[in-house]
This record gives sequence, C-alpha cells and structure tokens, in this order.
Amino acid sequence: MMKTPRLVAALVATAMLAIAGCGDDDDGGGAPEAEKATQAKASGNVTWCIGKDTTGAFGTVIDAFNKANPDANVKLLELPEDAGEQRRLQVQRLEAKSPECDVLGTDVIWTAEYAAQGWLLDVSDWISKNGDKFIPSTVDTTEYEGKNWAIPFNSNAGFIYYRTDEVDKAPETWEDLYKEAQSGNGVVYQGFRYEGLTVNFLELVYSAGGSVLSEDGKEATADSQEVKDALTFMADGIKDGAAPKAVTTYKEEESRRAFESGNATFMRNWPYAYALGKDSKIADNFDIATFPGFAGKEGAGVLGGYNLAISAYSKNPEGSLAFAEFATDPKQQALMATEASLPPTVTETYDDPAVKKAMPFAEELRTAIDQAQPRPVSPVYPQISEAIYNNVYAALQGDMSADEAASKMNEEIQKALETF
Amino acid sequence: MEAASVKLGRGRKKRGKTFGSEERRLAALLLTPAMAVIALVAAYPIGYAIWLSFNEYSVRTPGLSRWAGFKNYTEAFGSSEFWEAVKNTFIFTGLSVTLELAIGLGMAIAMHEAFKGRGLLRTVVLVPWAVLTVVSAITWRTLFEPNLGLAPQILDAIGIGGDVVWLGQEGYAMAVMILADVWKTAPFMALLLLAGLQVIPDDVYDAAKVDGATTWQRFRRITIPLLMPAILVALIFRTLDALRIFDLPYVLTGGSNGTTTLSLIAHQELTTNRLIGYGSALSVLTFIIVMAVSFIYIRTVGGNIRSLAEEG
Amino acid sequence: MEASGGVVAPGAGVREGEKEREEARAAVRRGPRRNWVRPLLMTIAVVLICIFCLFPFYWLINVSLKTGSDLSQSDIFPPNPTLDNYDSIFKNDNFTSALKNSVIVTTVTTILALIVGSFAAYALARLRFKRKFLILALILSISTFPAIAIAAPMFKLWTDIGIYDTRIGLIIPYLTFALPLAIYILTSFFKEIPKELEEAALVDGATYFQAFRKVVLPLAAPGLVTAGLLTAFFVWNEFLLAVTLTSSPDAFTVPVSVANFTGSQKFEVPLGTISAASVVITIPLVLAVILFQKRIVAGMTAGAVKG
Repeated sequence: MMKTPRLVAALVATAMLAIAGCGDDDDGGGAPEAEKATQAKASGNVTWCIGKDTTGAFGTVIDAFNKANPDANVKLLELPEDAGEQRRLQVQRLEAKSPECDVLGTDVIWTAEYAAQGWLLDVSDWISKNGDKFIPSTVDTTEYEGKNWAIPFNSNAGFIYYRTDEVDKAPETWEDLYKEAQSGNGVVYQGFRYEGLTVNFLELVYSAGGSVLSEDGKEATADSQEVKDALTFMADGIKDGAAPKAVTTYKEEESRRAFESGNATFMRNWPYAYALGKDSKIADNFDIATFPGFAGKEGAGVLGGYNLAISAYSKNPEGSLAFAEFATDPKQQALMATEASLPPTVTETYDDPAVKKAMPFAEELRTAIDQAQPRPVSPVYPQISEAIYNNVYAALQGDMSADEAASKMNEEIQKALETF
Repeated sequence: MEAASVKLGRGRKKRGKTFGSEERRLAALLLTPAMAVIALVAAYPIGYAIWLSFNEYSVRTPGLSRWAGFKNYTEAFGSSEFWEAVKNTFIFTGLSVTLELAIGLGMAIAMHEAFKGRGLLRTVVLVPWAVLTVVSAITWRTLFEPNLGLAPQILDAIGIGGDVVWLGQEGYAMAVMILADVWKTAPFMALLLLAGLQVIPDDVYDAAKVDGATTWQRFRRITIPLLMPAILVALIFRTLDALRIFDLPYVLTGGSNGTTTLSLIAHQELTTNRLIGYGSALSVLTFIIVMAVSFIYIRTVGGNIRSLAEEG
Repeated sequence: MEASGGVVAPGAGVREGEKEREEARAAVRRGPRRNWVRPLLMTIAVVLICIFCLFPFYWLINVSLKTGSDLSQSDIFPPNPTLDNYDSIFKNDNFTSALKNSVIVTTVTTILALIVGSFAAYALARLRFKRKFLILALILSISTFPAIAIAAPMFKLWTDIGIYDTRIGLIIPYLTFALPLAIYILTSFFKEIPKELEEAALVDGATYFQAFRKVVLPLAAPGLVTAGLLTAFFVWNEFLLAVTLTSSPDAFTVPVSVANFTGSQKFEVPLGTISAASVVITIPLVLAVILFQKRIVAGMTAGAVKG
C-alpha cells in the first residue's frame, strides 16, 4: 500500500527525465544562420528587459515612445541591480526560448556570448545604415564574427579623479600618479576579486600597448612583458603604500566613499562618481582627468556601457527595432544624460548644451569613450575574466609573483578558449 | 493501544508485531500530501539537474551537447578550486555551527529562565531573524569597511586585529563571515532550543534540587539529555544550511581570501560561466557531501533520528 | 526519553493560581542563599544578548536616516537625520505590492506547511510502517539540493505549466522546501508527547481526530510555533527562487523588490533605501510574532503536563 504513491512518483520522475533527455540534441553543430532584424515598425507589444534605471529616465523614454506611436505599447520589465543577476535572468529566458523579453539591455561584454548562442537577431543592416551617428568604439562592442548584434545605448569609460587641493594637476603617467600617491594620501581603485578588477587591470595593460587575447580571439596573449609589467606595477603599488591594502576589498562604491571621505588623493572610477562627489564634502576640491600613459605609451581606458539587443525569440522584432531606434535618437540620449547621467553613445549629443551643463566633463567623456577599448571579445568571456581577476588578485595580495600570475593567467585563458 | 482499533471503535487489538493494514493505510493517507508535493515539485528539477551533470553543453555552439559520463565529476575532483571550497566550507560549518549552538543555548536558557525581561528578550532575539539575509550581509560588509566601518575601530579598541583589513585577509575574512552568520542564525538555534526547554517539566528540576544537585549538575544531567532531541534537530538543519552558504561569501568577499564555498563555485560555473554540465555536477557533489554529513550525524550522534524512525 | 507520565490536566483551565505557582517555583529555583547572583547573571546575559542582536539593527536604522554624502561617512548618529528614504520606499509601488505578496505567500505557505507537515509528522511519530527511515531520508534530502541547480529547470517547467509569475507559483516550491524542516521538528515534538495521554483520551471515548486535536496539538504547541516561525523565516528571506520565478509586481516578494532598489546613480548601492526598507519590514514582523507567540504560550500552559 505504501509502495504505490512512491512508485508513481518514481515513474513520473523517470518519465520526465526521459522527456527532458529527448529535447536536447537539436543541432548537430555550427551556429544556424541567424535571423536578421531589418524592418522597424512601431506597433504591437514590446517588453524591455533591463536592470532597473535609477531615476526613471527609462520610463520617460518609454512614455515618449508610446505617446508618439499609439499603435505600440512598450513595457519595462525590471531586472535586479546586480549585473550578474540581470544576465542570469536574461539567460534563463533565452535558454528556455521564452518570448517574454523583446528588447534586452545587455552589458557590452555579453554580446559575443549571446550572439554565439544564436539568441540575438542580426542588426548589421540597421547599423550599416545608421551606425555613423555613434562613437565608433561603441559600435565595436556590438560586433561578433563580423556582424552587429546590438545597438549601442549608453557607454562608460573610467577616469582619474584627483584632489585639487593636494596636487596641482593630473599626472601624465601612471608612474607619476603612483609616486604622487605614495607621498600623498594614496590612490584607490576597484581591487575586489570581480569583473571590476579585470577592468582596472586591462586599463593598465592597454595603456602599455599589451593585450590578453589575440585579435581573432583564438589565442591567449597574457604571458607577455606588458602584462607582467602591469602586474608588477599594481602589486608594487600596494606593497610600497601607493595604494592602501584595503583596495582589495573595494568595488566602485567603497573606493568612491574612501575618496569622498578624504582618505585618498587619487581615485579610478566611472563617471557616476562625479555628480555624487559634487554633493559631498569634497565638492570644491576635486576634478577629473582621462587616463595617463603607462610605460611611455598613451593612456587607454576600457569600455563599459549597455547595448540594446533584440531577442531571437521575440514575437515583435519590428516593434523592438523601432523602439531601439527611438532610444538612440539624440533627444532621448540627451534626456538620459541629463536625467540619469548615462553617457550617450550618439556623438552629437555631447554638443547639446543641456548635456554639457549636466555633465561638465562631457568633452573629456567623449574623448575617453572614443579612445577606450573593448574587453576581450569571446563567447567564453566570463571564464577569461575570471582567469584575469583571480590571478591579478593573487598578485595584488602577494600570493603569487607577477611572472607566475601572468603565466597562470595565460594558461587559464587558453583552457577557457578550448571549452567545448 | 493501536490507533487502528480506535478507528474501528471496537475492543482492543492484541499488541503484535504485525502492522495492521489499517494503520498502514492511515499512514499512507497522512503522508501522501507531503510526499506528493515533494515528489512532484522537486523530483523533476532535481532529476533534470542530475541528468545535466552527465552531459556537456557547448558554450560556443548553440544547441550542441554531448554525453560526458563522469567527466564532469573527475574534473571536479581534479580541481584545486573544488578541494579548497570543500575545505573552506567545512571549516566555516564546523566553527559557525559550534558557536551558534553555544550562543543559541545560552540565549534559550536566558529566555526560558529570566523572569523579568523575558518578553523583551523574545522580541530582541527575533530581530536578526527578521532582517533579510542579503541585507544583513550588506550591513556587515559596511560595518567592516576599511577606514569607514565601525567594527574594525571597535575591535581595535579592545585589542583585536589592529589595522588589519578584515575582509581582505585570509583568516580574518572567514572570521567576519562566521560572525555575520552567527548573528543571523543564533536566534534560529535559540528558538528551536527554547521550544525544547519549554517541554521539560519543572518538577524534574525541583526534584533534583531537593536531592542537592548543583546548577551545573542539573544542567548536565537533566537539561542536556532532555534537550537532546531539539539539539539534534537544530544541529542537523543548521549544518545542512551552513554547508550550502552562499549569500554571505558572495557579498562579503566574492569568495576571495579563503571564503570560497561549494555553493559559490557551483553558482559561478553554472550561471556565470554557463558550464551547465560541470556546474550541475558541482551541485550534485554538494548535495552528496551534504547528505553524507547528515548520514554520519544520524549514525554516530543519531539517537534522535533513528528513534524517530523506530516503531511508533 | 519520556518526560513524565504523571497527572494530566488537558484543557482544564488552571490559569488562576498559575501565576502564583510560577512565582513560587521561581523562588525555589532561586534558592535560599546567593539570591543576588542569579538575577545579576541573568541581567548581564539579557543586556549582552540585547546588544548582540540589536547593534547591527541599530546600524540599519542609523543608515536609513541618512541620505546623500552622509552615507559615505560612518557617523554613529545621523548628522542630518531625514525621513526621505522612508518616503521614497513607500512611494515605490513595487515595494508595497511586494510587501503584500510576501505577507500572503509567507502566511499561506506556513499554514499549509504546518497542516501537511503535522499529518506527515503524526504518521512518522505514531504509526508503524515499513521503510520509515527511507522516507525520512528522502524528505531530508530534498531540502538539501542546491537551489541554483534547479532554478533554471523550474523556470522552464513553471513557464510551460503557466504558473510563472504568480503567487501560487512561489507557494508550491516554498512548501516543498519548507516541509522537511517542519516535518522533522513536528515529528520530534510529537514523539516527546507520551502516548498515554492520547490513550487516556481515547479510553474516554474521544475519536481519533479529537484526541489529536485536543491532546496532542496543544502539547505540541511549542513545536508548531517553532516549525511555523522557521518556515516563515525561510519563505520571507528566500531570494533565488523568488527572483527566478517572478517578473512583475504581481508576484514580486520583498527580497526581489529590495534587490531592485537603486540609488540615484548607476553604480550606487542604495544603502539608505535598503536600510529603510529593512527597518520597515522588521518592525511589523516582530510585532506579529510577539502576539502570535504569547497566545500560543498561554494555550500551552493551560493544557500543559504538570506533575
């Protein structure tokens, strides 16, 4: 008698396993020819899945679109603040082929991953017609295997913040910066063991003219002199006291707080900290500058930002494209710059006087974005980033020498590239 | 007296070793809702996750997958990251559960015996419970923030830690994690143990007092044995939870400085790296480890659970 | 180990005189000599416990009253206390819907877990049948499978069935994961209750269910309260499944809503609003539990075993 319910449960479970097993081996191999999104027609329902916007500026854009296009209805589906969670929740829908999200707000580093899995519609045609209005580097973040898979929405590039009452002007080289930091109050950056550390590290590597991944994305190039130099430089910085030991626990917010409370002379951070800094007790005593050079080369930043991609499972690709197009209209871009401090991707927005007023460093921002480089483009980017930040962190903590860290990083990146 | 014979409403049945079929039917009836919910809801996702662990899913080519047999498992066993996570998880579990038990027991006794302030205590003890796990992790992170957080300053004042960067150093980071966990879950233990204390009748103590037993003797000979069932339930579930800790290391350190745990690496491989086969294998291994620990509990300490399973 | 098989006073309200008896008992416990040590120790213990439990919560209140750049400082008292954060969270519709959803989901799950769990616990505690150990092990094992591994399959299944983004879609998995703990606690409490009590009631002509309701349940009240509180604790705090299986204010729970809080800038962690939300959530919760606990304790002492 007791057997029956359990037996039934076991049968049900087995049956479900069998069904689950059947569904998986779809394509034998090779990416299927991706569908293109070419027509933009502002009608129907469109759901926009993006991490929640801070000031409601996204809502304003949506309202403007809905008003201008009575046949269309755009709805916002908010995802959690944490970028990792946003990605997980988008991926779970895409893996389940769910049509719930039409337009996805994707971090620039997710493009290659999503595109490789066939989750996005090809928008190359649209880009070739309209791509000129964007800052070129932002368009690069939408490319994978020669095609464009998203439309640049907003961008981001880091800056050096410095205390004007402690140093006269921004240093011209990283070496000078660290020297001044050592005799001053130190430099703070994002040294926590996460994606942000990859960004901070790559900024130095790119400034030295180095790389971690070959152009074609097939080979690791981290076992190089530039990488070793960058690692030694960062590790010595902590050892010699130019950067406080605490920096290995800092994400963006902690470094901002350290700088704002007067505990640092220099800070590396994204533009968002500018407005917040102007509201703090150091409001009149700081300024920003683009990155200095390293090892005799030009300074270089790393690109951040979000793109708008259209889900391959969307039931309304035309409406989605129309909305994405609208969101990159200079007027909407200006709105987001003034209301939410989101750096625009459209070049001419930077000349808009309202934008210039809201972001006094608009010119520097445009230059910074123009000169910034994308992070390694690869469908296995998460593993590459992990290889980078794990080993850089170990070097910063003094657990590994720079040489060891570089070669281990190289090994792990190579292994990641060979992932099935 | 058998429940079955009551149901029939007739005389007494002889107490025998044969289990009445009515009793089994009643047991089936009572157990079915719980088992049905558990089987239907959990069986498919768990079964599917186990199945996933025996395959590999391509990260580069959509829809491509292949049978991997035990490959994901051997990869895990060969990975130093996996073994480090095992070590950290066990260290964390051992220390935090022990502390939580001791502190929880103290709190439970205080709540039980304190005549004045009992209401206040029961309220106060619930506060850590009510704060969302993630929020408490963020709070502890800010409390230990270098330069700005209060905790390092207070600890330094009482001579602990000096100017150590707590979350940035191996050992210290684990200490913070344990502290945060104990804060949040000692009340869990205290509640379970309080309920156990409340069913111990006072006359047992009074009788012992009359016999001249000291407080410590009463504690050791009466309280602890009578509280054992509650202690064991509390231990098992707390251990199971501690072995699967995720929120705290994720927020506090991202898993650096010796705080990587099994759940953290499973999460990393499954959702961040999208190595679904490998990530599922790590989840299954976590599951097996957790189950192994609970079986060891049951066998060695286990009077309670085994006696739960004994006849009537 | 059986507690004691003494005199039973089931359901007979002996509340009057109860207080006097407890006082007397407490006096006996205090003992003739050294009757200042105990109260002193107790007071110290109470104070320590209060500090331990309340300090981080005080910190939350502290942060919730700060905005802007004050959040970057670590002042122990807010330099410019303001209720702005509270204002903004209540203006946030998502938060208030989330509060409502959380309350509904938590209450329903807890009640169901107690009912279903009691049935199962009773069978496990009292009845005889084969393979009890196996069932206990199975129940226990279900609750230990890492949730992250089943999040995606559950999402797919829920979408196919059509209960994605609904409250019932959350109640079902929560019930599944809460049952094991509830069943274990209730089973161990039911076991502690001497069989003779039920048998006595049955001899007096009670039916099976009456015996269960009038004898066993009141005595197991601490177990029910504990199991209920712990279930509520689990459901209230649960984040992973909540964020996976919901996507709109129709079904968002509080942890999801808090995760969506934002500061005024993109990378800003909204400590102020998160803290305010936490304070807002905690106080009513604690109040509700105090009320709930008091009533159960009263019911328990009325029908407790004395001997």
